[in-house]
Amino acid sequence: MSGRCPPVDHAKNAASFTADAKRAHWHDEALWFVRQKRDRAAKSVPEWEALRETAEAVKAHTLKHLGYYLERFEERAKANGIEVYWARDAAEHNAIVARLLNEHGAERVVKSKSMLTEECGLNPHLESLGIEVTDTDLGERIVQLAGDHPSHIVLPAIHMKKEDVSRIFAEHLQTDPENSDPGYLTRAARRHLRRKFLEADAAITGVNFALAEEGAFVVCTNEGNADLGTALPGLHIACMGLEKILPSAKELGIFTRLLARSATGQAITTYTSHFRKPRPGGRLCVVIVDNGRSRLLRGEYAKTLSCIRCGACMNTCPVYRRSGGHSYGYVIPGPIGSVLAGAREVATYASLPFACSLCASCDNVCPVRIDLHKTLYREREEAIDIPCYAGKKRLLHLMSWVLQRPRLYGLLMGAMRFLLPRLPRPLLYSRFNVWGRDRETPMPAPRSFRDLYRERRSR
Amino acid sequence: MNARETILNALKERREAPADRPLFEKEPMRFDDLSEAFATALEAAGGEAVETEEVSAEAIAGHFRFEGRILDTRESGEALSRRDGIGLVIVEGAFGVAENGAVWIDPKERYPRELLTLAENVAVVLKKGAIVATMHEAYERIDFSGISYALFMAGPSKTADIEQALVIGAHGAIGMRVFLQGR
Repeated sequence: MSGRCPPVDHAKNAASFTADAKRAHWHDEALWFVRQKRDRAAKSVPEWEALRETAEAVKAHTLKHLGYYLERFEERAKANGIEVYWARDAAEHNAIVARLLNEHGAERVVKSKSMLTEECGLNPHLESLGIEVTDTDLGERIVQLAGDHPSHIVLPAIHMKKEDVSRIFAEHLQTDPENSDPGYLTRAARRHLRRKFLEADAAITGVNFALAEEGAFVVCTNEGNADLGTALPGLHIACMGLEKILPSAKELGIFTRLLARSATGQAITTYTSHFRKPRPGGRLCVVIVDNGRSRLLRGEYAKTLSCIRCGACMNTCPVYRRSGGHSYGYVIPGPIGSVLAGAREVATYASLPFACSLCASCDNVCPVRIDLHKTLYREREEAIDIPCYAGKKRLLHLMSWVLQRPRLYGLLMGAMRFLLPRLPRPLLYSRFNVWGRDRETPMPAPRSFRDLYRERRSR
Repeated sequence: MNARETILNALKERREAPADRPLFEKEPMRFDDLSEAFATALEAAGGEAVETEEVSAEAIAGHFRFEGRILDTRESGEALSRRDGIGLVIVEGAFGVAENGAVWIDPKERYPRELLTLAENVAVVLKKGAIVATMHEAYERIDFSGISYALFMAGPSKTADIEQALVIGAHGAIGMRVFLQGR
């Protein structure tokens, strides 16, 4: 991506996704379907809005007392026989996990979904040390075999068609390349991964919710991969961002009601699993990771740390649905990903706040009521100051200068009304007219609104 | 400073114990018939609720089609530690949740936790009277002090990771039924 300005250019990245119009349309429809399921699930709960408001308040409260709750969690977890480790950044996190695996003599690791380990680049690190890491969530396994990355935090392989999966599985799992039936492919993956589960020396999971009072944590899956993965080996490492903490199990009543309904429209995930002690004779380790979160907490984007990673903002986003997760160039895509990426590094991710129509649909589906579109608007103001956008910024200043001069503006508009219908097509749709790339430029009305208004007034 | 100190130091204004905390105070949804709501929700999750007084291993096995062994965790035995070829595992559920069809299952030390996911089919025996309306009441009921690993399970293992097509039986149970017993 070197030489690109800005380094992550959402519009350019999206171009390759939208080049296949049929596929892009399918992606859009598939995610809209998930959004509709979410709506039905939410509407079946009369107290839905009160739940969201309480979830927002609980998260704000927990962040306000984050130091207290983390220490409380550590104390209670240790009393339960859980080992607690702290990591300032991705490198420390990876080193701790590698050390624990090494102590255990682990060569084969099964991993359930964790966006944090994706953020930290754990898999390549462990692989470089000769440890085999198998992602066991089906979607994650598909993208892992493809040498790809998740394009959605809940539906990692949503950018792929079943024919792609069939091709990947035929290559790696020796399935029939002619058969792309999802049932057939899932069964093949079940057999393949069952072997991995039985062979594994250690398991790594993420954490959906950590409970300070109980010193326990919760992992939610539909496939049961976290449960099966952690049940057999003698070592379970759970990696959590420090914002995953809740005061107690009582609050789980709120969050387990919101999470799956927001994510996929299910009333609850199939497996909502609570880990409080190591299995007999085994080790249970929790790694608490900062990696920029405490800094984020001090700034104006602190509220984004309330996110429970349900993906609802992606499913509803008109830009995400039509541009695909990879176009964001960040580990987490969609509205929340844009906000987090921008808060982390404006210069690299300056195009992301503009990958937004400011429709605010994300704010309205967010189970913890993060004001995503307002935050993106604020991030635009920072993003426009980067050197790459100097030209754009000058143009905006010029625009503002014109708009402050109504007579000049009227004059220019008059000229446009005369010119536009007369311009030859090749000139009108030249490469400078980015708006005209995929659509017809609307022709101006013969008379301006101001003109008509003045006439009406004088009558 | 080590990592722990650095992180806690970065949070030093946030280390005070809270005086009180926000709670969900609104009256949550209610159901006229808890077991009916539970059955509907479980069905939506791909499972099935069966009302019956016949909860012997043979009677329960008759509701499933499978190959392999039956493990009844209500009786302890050495067979519980064998991992292969488990066609059906029968476990006790502590209580169910009407709003989502989930059952609280705590293996305690009575059987290894992997039976719940290694088995092709899971049968849960539950007292019909032990169903609560929502997750709020559910968590009021759980005493965490005795728990090592326990879970809410709602239906069989599933995935929709290939083109959003729902496939039952990802890694864990392919069939899951809850047997509601008593009144």
